Amino acid sequence: MMELLITVFSATFFVTIIRTTTPLLLATLGGLIADLGGALNVALEGMMLIGCLTAVIVSVYAPWYVAVAAGLGAGALLGLIMAFFAFRLKADIILVGFAINILAAGGTVFALAIATGGDKGTSINLQSKAVPAVDLSFLSAIPGIGPVLKSFLSGHSVLSWLAAFLVFAVWYFLYRTPWGLWLRGVGEYPAAPEAAGIPVNKIRTWSLIVSGALAGLGGAQLAMFNYVGFTRDMTAGRGFIALGAVLLGARHPVGALLAALLFGAFEALAVVMPGLFNDIPAELIRMIPFVVTIAALVLFSIRAQRALALRGVK
Amino acid sequence: MSNIPAIDRNSRFKTIRREVGRAVGALAIALLVTFIVVLLTSKAPLDAITQLLTAPASKPRTIGLWLDDVAKLTITGLAFSLVFQARQFAMGVQGQVYIGALAASYVALSPLGASWAGIPLGITAAMLAGAIYGFLPGIAKAKLGANEIVSSLMLNYIAIEVCNFLVRTSLPKPQAGVLTTNDFPDSAVFPQLIKLEGLNVTRLDLGLVFALVAVLVVWFALYRTSWGLKLRLVGHNARFAEYSGIKATFIMVSAMTASGALGGLLGSMFVQGQGYGKLTVLFEGGLAFEGILVAIVARSRPLAVPVVALFYGYLRQGAQLMNIRTDVPAEVIGVVTAIIILLVSSSFSLNFITRLFKRSPSPSVAPAAVGGAAK
Repeated sequence: MMELLITVFSATFFVTIIRTTTPLLLATLGGLIADLGGALNVALEGMMLIGCLTAVIVSVYAPWYVAVAAGLGAGALLGLIMAFFAFRLKADIILVGFAINILAAGGTVFALAIATGGDKGTSINLQSKAVPAVDLSFLSAIPGIGPVLKSFLSGHSVLSWLAAFLVFAVWYFLYRTPWGLWLRGVGEYPAAPEAAGIPVNKIRTWSLIVSGALAGLGGAQLAMFNYVGFTRDMTAGRGFIALGAVLLGARHPVGALLAALLFGAFEALAVVMPGLFNDIPAELIRMIPFVVTIAALVLFSIRAQRALALRGVK
Repeated sequence: MSNIPAIDRNSRFKTIRREVGRAVGALAIALLVTFIVVLLTSKAPLDAITQLLTAPASKPRTIGLWLDDVAKLTITGLAFSLVFQARQFAMGVQGQVYIGALAASYVALSPLGASWAGIPLGITAAMLAGAIYGFLPGIAKAKLGANEIVSSLMLNYIAIEVCNFLVRTSLPKPQAGVLTTNDFPDSAVFPQLIKLEGLNVTRLDLGLVFALVAVLVVWFALYRTSWGLKLRLVGHNARFAEYSGIKATFIMVSAMTASGALGGLLGSMFVQGQGYGKLTVLFEGGLAFEGILVAIVARSRPLAVPVVALFYGYLRQGAQLMNIRTDVPAEVIGVVTAIIILLVSSSFSLNFITRLFKRSPSPSVAPAAVGGAAK
């Protein structure tokens, strides 16, 4: 137990949390944008997975930033497809989302087998690149707190810093720009913005495109930093956990950040625990993020119901 | 009086014709895309396509494999139909399959499994376990408002890990380290339906009978009982149903529980069927989720589910055989599945396609488009 506590309060564990949180946070922000626009984006999982594979394959032939952009673009394209079928062709958006998930689960394995010449498990024989870490070792020159600052802040992925900035950017967009107001209005009660002459479907379409782009970016982080390379089903439910994080985060960017950090911390725990406890079965450790998601969802729902009861809403 | 059923029947035929037309159109487009993908990626595309389209019907053995898939797809299609009719998007069939399979395995590997009770008790245990697993997200939604999509998906992942864990540690294994249990005793494995010398349809077992019975039971429950009527009303408009005195939450929870029992049954059909006869980790291979396609194309109608499963199972088996015999991976079927779901669940129609491709409305197209709009 002591070892666990020492590990949990170490700087390396903090760095691990940031690493496991980043893909979740990006996907959660994506889910948040779609959710506020009134569409539950259940396809986050598939968008992330396709983002992973696209980033890995492109990174074999191009610099890392092009690969990250490709992952982002793949997610955005899927968002556009989703919007087309859901809004233009009036399909149920949840079914469309699951179609995308099924497409991703099968399609990535198919594309992986084609790209690697038959390997359906991993992209181990592809020379894919990684997203560079931001080196802040100059911070240790600061007297006193310098070394501590360095060990906490240095060595994160570029995308982790971007994700932290995006939390602010999404907040600013949602609460300080007219488009953010429109988006929230469309999600709340579409008839009102429609009557006010706001292009409802256009806004919804863009929200899904951005949602997909963020999920794709999360996929790029997952396959180019957390792990370098693609493995079949490597997102392992992170897209669905992100969906839970949106609800848990009370549909607010800061809430999304906190929820993603919570799930990221438990995932980090699942990463370090096998090294510390040999007697806890790996399956049970792998179960932690999912159990925590259900527990958080249930607790949050109880709280939300109580809040509604207090306000006298039935 | 007598002409009202006739009108009813007429409009029903019209609906069926329209739905079949849409499904066939979607299938054609999906196959076309698949052919293009295969043409671009395969070294022997014609061979691959021939395998995809003809292999399942080529030998008695492959026909057995195909019909075995059909039975399983029918059950998962029914499970999704039940929750879709109540407009609940519970996605927990996969988890129910694993939990049901675990329950069936514990029965089959216990002393009871070696007696005559192996099959009935195994199925009952599996259905009970699946029902409980389906009940959990239902009650969490009804009592707490917890989103059933997220909770049921999380339960899927948990069930898979529980299954991995129990197979590795608790259930009896032939040797340490393998991720599969002992073979079940013969009395706990579904008997083959057809045993003929020279006719090798090994996979065809009692599961097919269960699938057909399940179709009738679900149809009866949905269309011939008051519970089914209430369920469909809740699906159409939960608030209206609530105002007319129906306990909408009870109906939702019971629909998810019943669907869970079907998921559990599917679990027992997997492990107690001729295909396995034992519990192996990750035995389900993604089949449970394909029930979404079956349910959507069948418009959640129980009687249409086996028909859709028959066609989709053929494609699925064709893809598996193509995977073995050519250089095209079976996962290409995921593309077909996704396109069919997208097209069938949307307001896509053949008229829409003609309009899409003929941008300038020529006189011959216009009446068709109007006819489509008038429906």
